[in-house]
Amino acid sequence: MSTETTTTTTNETAADVDQRGLIDRLTASPFVSRLLSNRLALAGIAIIVAMVVIALYARLFLDLEVITQSQLGTNPNRAPPSLDYPFGTDGQARSLLPRVAYGAWYAMLFGTVTVAASTVLGVGLGIVAAYYSDVTDNVIMRTMDVLLAFPSLLLALALVAIFPDELGLWRAVAALTLVYTPRFARVVRGAALTVLENEYIDATVALGAADPRVLIRHVLPNCLAPITVQSTLNFGLAIIDLAALSFLGFGAEAGTPSWGLMLSNGVSQGLLTGVWWWSFFPGFFLALTVLGFNLLGDGMRDALDPRMREAVD
Amino acid sequence: MISTRFVLKRLLLLVPVLVGVASLVFSILHLSPGDPALTIAGERASEEFVRQIEESLGLNDPIWVQYGRFLVDAAQFQFGESFIIQRNTAVREVLANKLPVTLELAIYGQLIGISLGIPLGILSAVKQDSITDHLTRIGALAGISVPIFWSGPLLILLFAQVLGWLPTSGRISVLYNVEAIRVTGLVTVDTLLAGNWEMFVSAVRHMILPASVIGVYSMALISRMMRSSMLEVIRQDYMRTARAKGQGAKITVLKHGFRNAMIPVITVIGIQFGGLLGGAVLTETVFAIGGIGTLLVEAIKVGDYPIVQGTVLTFAFLFTLVNLGVDITYSILDPRIEQ
Amino acid sequence: MSAPPEPADADADAPPALERAAVRLRLVGTAALAGALVAAVWLVATLVVGDFAGSVETTFALGSLAFGFGLLGWSGAVALGRGIESMQTHLDTGTGWTEADARRAMARILGFGLGVMLGATTVGTAVSAVA
Repeated sequence: MSTETTTTTTNETAADVDQRGLIDRLTASPFVSRLLSNRLALAGIAIIVAMVVIALYARLFLDLEVITQSQLGTNPNRAPPSLDYPFGTDGQARSLLPRVAYGAWYAMLFGTVTVAASTVLGVGLGIVAAYYSDVTDNVIMRTMDVLLAFPSLLLALALVAIFPDELGLWRAVAALTLVYTPRFARVVRGAALTVLENEYIDATVALGAADPRVLIRHVLPNCLAPITVQSTLNFGLAIIDLAALSFLGFGAEAGTPSWGLMLSNGVSQGLLTGVWWWSFFPGFFLALTVLGFNLLGDGMRDALDPRMREAVD
Repeated sequence: MISTRFVLKRLLLLVPVLVGVASLVFSILHLSPGDPALTIAGERASEEFVRQIEESLGLNDPIWVQYGRFLVDAAQFQFGESFIIQRNTAVREVLANKLPVTLELAIYGQLIGISLGIPLGILSAVKQDSITDHLTRIGALAGISVPIFWSGPLLILLFAQVLGWLPTSGRISVLYNVEAIRVTGLVTVDTLLAGNWEMFVSAVRHMILPASVIGVYSMALISRMMRSSMLEVIRQDYMRTARAKGQGAKITVLKHGFRNAMIPVITVIGIQFGGLLGGAVLTETVFAIGGIGTLLVEAIKVGDYPIVQGTVLTFAFLFTLVNLGVDITYSILDPRIEQ
Repeated sequence: MSAPPEPADADADAPPALERAAVRLRLVGTAALAGALVAAVWLVATLVVGDFAGSVETTFALGSLAFGFGLLGWSGAVALGRGIESMQTHLDTGTGWTEADARRAMARILGFGLGVMLGATTVGTAVSAVA
């Protein structure tokens, strides 16, 4: 990292945001150009795009009723992968291929909601903590630290118990949102402090801009890069944890084509009889998606301005 | 070397930890929507019967009375009887049966994680930026990208179903009666104590897959920490001088450096033990090993509150004890630290 | 994040230890007072409109949530402080976490929770005595 690039990023404060188009800004950004020169990150992007296409295809062109209902009598039961049934069929004679494809839709949908919700909560808490330092900061951030110290799956299990059963997968989403919020709060606070240290903000405050205005118009836009990185890294984690909760029985209802539930079925009923395709295909797509997000996230972190990088883990 | 006062001080920390966890559990149980009396009685029970149970559980007392009673009971590790999972069995007894299962899994998993993570981290640091370094780091990343509930089934399919080298699930072959020789509850130890070699081999063969699956997670973190901490040691002045003096001196100093580099790694092993317990929940499910992880999941699912309370407190207790052990190891490694 | 450095050992010398105990007590006490006030105001409000018995339970449970959380966080900071600090330096995730800061923040939270619990107990007992 040369000193020159650092200076460019520093000077690119909120004032510039208003004046330049988004596309111009993106292509000129050293962050994006560094990211695009990273091959592993590009591989990550390719995987994610493929998964999004599969998810959209499944949502738009597959009939959820047909996928969910038993096909006994229509299809062969427990058939190994063949030309007709590329991923084989399950114990209800349902073809696994469309089920696994639909699982991509569930993973993307619920993953997005979880990450988006914890981003919003975390951004709020983090910015408030950074702006009103001292007691507020200390109480908010140390609370976040304690939450971070819990193993995420155990914390999610404890929280899942609070929400009623009827919520299904949304119960898992709600629990994981609370589990992930501290990560965002921490990143945003770190980034916001860096921005607030800029004299520019001091000048705005001196001119009498109200607190929320300063926060939203000047601090937030400059925290966008680290927030995006954290969201990407967390997306992979969210998909795994959502699947884990479904796997343990706290999430999707029986029959729902979610990857976690399919894996749970494959483990409890397929393993002893050697029916490998029940666990192999859903797990493969799950792991591939997670790898895609991890590769992209890691690449993004490396492309970040070093001062912002500190805060992201 | 280690003063008794230091150990006692650390042990005293168990009090706030357990009171804290007990309060959290208490509040979560009271804020969550389930009704314990209804759970015990069953949905179709008469209203009178439900009220009777409420009375016997003391659910009609003011909440602060319930809280005080709960704390006193928790201090004695007294959680009453299981509602559903093992009806009319004391929670203490249920836990005593299941705890060694999880403990054994965690110990072997941790051993695998440490014995692979430390050498890999050192290798990565000594050969910084070489292909070995990159492979180790990518391997660690891939290791944490693959969920336990996929790597587990795949390993079972490969080693148990296809190759037939290792057993599919459980803790020991069903042919053996481990209960008859139960001393510690850890099968690998009990079979050795009984002097039965065949049973011991069976127990070890059952342990290999689950312990490896869970060990990979700790390995990833430990190797990262070891790499970073070793790099820092290597960069220090005395190491540079030693390197200039030649190979022999370099090895002597590496040995010395290793000791220093271990200190931050040790501290992390304690924190990461919590994650290991989380991983145990999934691993026990995949390999059909009934420990306190699966017990917790089952208890939450069916609303067996006494079991939930007991399990959560046991987890907290274990975690604190492990970290006490870490602290002691730490002060042995670094005698300069003021206790 | 500029916490005043604390002496390593609590009983190294007597007078400052006493002084520090007073500071800690004030910290927890102020938070507890705030908690008790919040609980009292809230409960009196629900006495006028809403389900009083139910909200005493909920308020007390929320108080014990904060109390338990703070207590756990406090002991966690003491027990794991060293580990967390070294993890931050080595895994590049520094946020200026210090054990002293963490303990102070947790003391506030547990004090607040304790206050809420005490407030709920007092108001609850008082109301049932009158009624």
